[in-house]
Amino acid sequence: MSSLYQSMVAVIEQSITPLAAKLGQQKYVIAIRDGFTAALPFMIIGSFMLVFIFPPFSADTTNSFARGWLDFSQTYREQLMLPFNLSMGVMTFFISVGIGASLGRQFNLDPVMSGLLAFMAFLLVAAPYADGKISTQYLSGQGIFTALITAIYSTRVYAWLKENKVTIRLPKEVPTGVARSFEILIPVMVVIGTLHPLNLFIEAQTGMIIPQAIMHLLEPLVSASDSLPAILLSVLLCQIFWFAGIHGSLIVTGIMNPFWMANLSANQAALAAGAALPHVYLQGFWDHYLLIGGVGSTLPLAFLLLRSRVTHLRTIGKMGVVPSFFNINEPILFGAPIIMNPMLFIPFVFVPLVNACLAYAATRLGWLAQVVSLTPWTTPAPIGASWAANWAFSPVVMCVICMVMSALMYLPFLRAYERSLMKTEEQKAQATVGVAETASR
Amino acid sequence: MFKIMLCCSAGMSTSLLVRKMVDAAEERGLPVKIDAYGVSEFDTQFPHYQVVLLGPQVKYMLKTLADKAATQGIPVQAIDMMDYGMQRGDKVLDYALSLIEAAH
Repeated sequence: MSSLYQSMVAVIEQSITPLAAKLGQQKYVIAIRDGFTAALPFMIIGSFMLVFIFPPFSADTTNSFARGWLDFSQTYREQLMLPFNLSMGVMTFFISVGIGASLGRQFNLDPVMSGLLAFMAFLLVAAPYADGKISTQYLSGQGIFTALITAIYSTRVYAWLKENKVTIRLPKEVPTGVARSFEILIPVMVVIGTLHPLNLFIEAQTGMIIPQAIMHLLEPLVSASDSLPAILLSVLLCQIFWFAGIHGSLIVTGIMNPFWMANLSANQAALAAGAALPHVYLQGFWDHYLLIGGVGSTLPLAFLLLRSRVTHLRTIGKMGVVPSFFNINEPILFGAPIIMNPMLFIPFVFVPLVNACLAYAATRLGWLAQVVSLTPWTTPAPIGASWAANWAFSPVVMCVICMVMSALMYLPFLRAYERSLMKTEEQKAQATVGVAETASR
Repeated sequence: MFKIMLCCSAGMSTSLLVRKMVDAAEERGLPVKIDAYGVSEFDTQFPHYQVVLLGPQVKYMLKTLADKAATQGIPVQAIDMMDYGMQRGDKVLDYALSLIEAAH
């Protein structure tokens, strides 16, 4: 056991930590994460509108309150849709600016300029314009990958031009402020001068504009991202990183976010069209079934700790339980500790894996309502799960099942851990008694 | 006035510790300014502080962040896992103060 653990620690130190460091500090991964974080408030509030547009009642309800709500939402559907359409429906706007700004900051460029440049680069290829109108088809989930690529491209161009001092040269007498006002002109020109012809060329060759072509290419990857193996792999990676004390969810969500967003907008479109929802694995699934109380679904563990026989664990429970309601569990992870603790490794890794299988199966069987809304990850799990599924009740039941599962799996390992802690405490106590006795003699 | 910055993924879990540290400082009558930020705010915030302490879960970024802050002579270190888990405000405060002293 101990040699197995030692070899595991060695693997973690030699390969997992460097891998996480590389992935987690990758400029583009950081920029994508920041971009989504910046866009999130708009999308959360925008998707909150869904419940007004699609009230969580069946169409033949007789309850007068529900009836009134349904009638209201039908009469004013267009008006209610507007804030949704101009937030979730154009999510790529916020995402491009966010990514451009974050990447710009990392390259020491003016973040406002690099954000706007990324925005323009995206519009240029993804917003076909005719008769005074632009098509919104690619401004939502369908355009996400294009937004990532154009933001990275435009910022790199800006950075490269600045590094190589490709700028308009002015005589020394010209004030620096004036010179700077010209500085951004060249990147804008280069971005337009490259992307626009490229888009025209691709359209002429394939009949598809760039975002359409990109979605076409990525189609297999996007649908693979919504499969059980993808869920399990991403969860496993996150758990192992976290076990090594590395913020794994930061890395995994950074990679999964574009897929989640693309699939989320597909689910919303299906909801609006009254069709069956195509996707299962979305942010709400991850946050509210797999990370209940934080990574490792430790909320039930926090309750168990509160009643632990070991003083240290009780203290951790007391400290950890309130933040755990909001899915923050660092006091438990580092205090119990779970991090690098071989006795809690198995439940920590397997609880979310098992819950993922359960929730996935329940969804596929048609028992569990799917995610259509974006929620803040700090929302307490059952509320968040219900909110994410447009206030359906089945997610609450699923959450309770996941919590029971988690408690059942943590319990035996916690008991064993408690026993080992009590043993060392006893040994220590005996040792001090022994010392005291010798001293008194 | 001692200015201490804590930094983790989103500045959430370190903000728990900030309160404990401020309490510990108040008990000792030390004037302090302690704030928590997410790593994405690191670049813009660290110049306003004398020391930066990282949550152990973002320790893997220590080298990069420390190199950035070193250009302005600001030390960056990770918080001990146990102190972090136990939310020992006084011990983390001691550590921060010792780093400030060593740097100045």
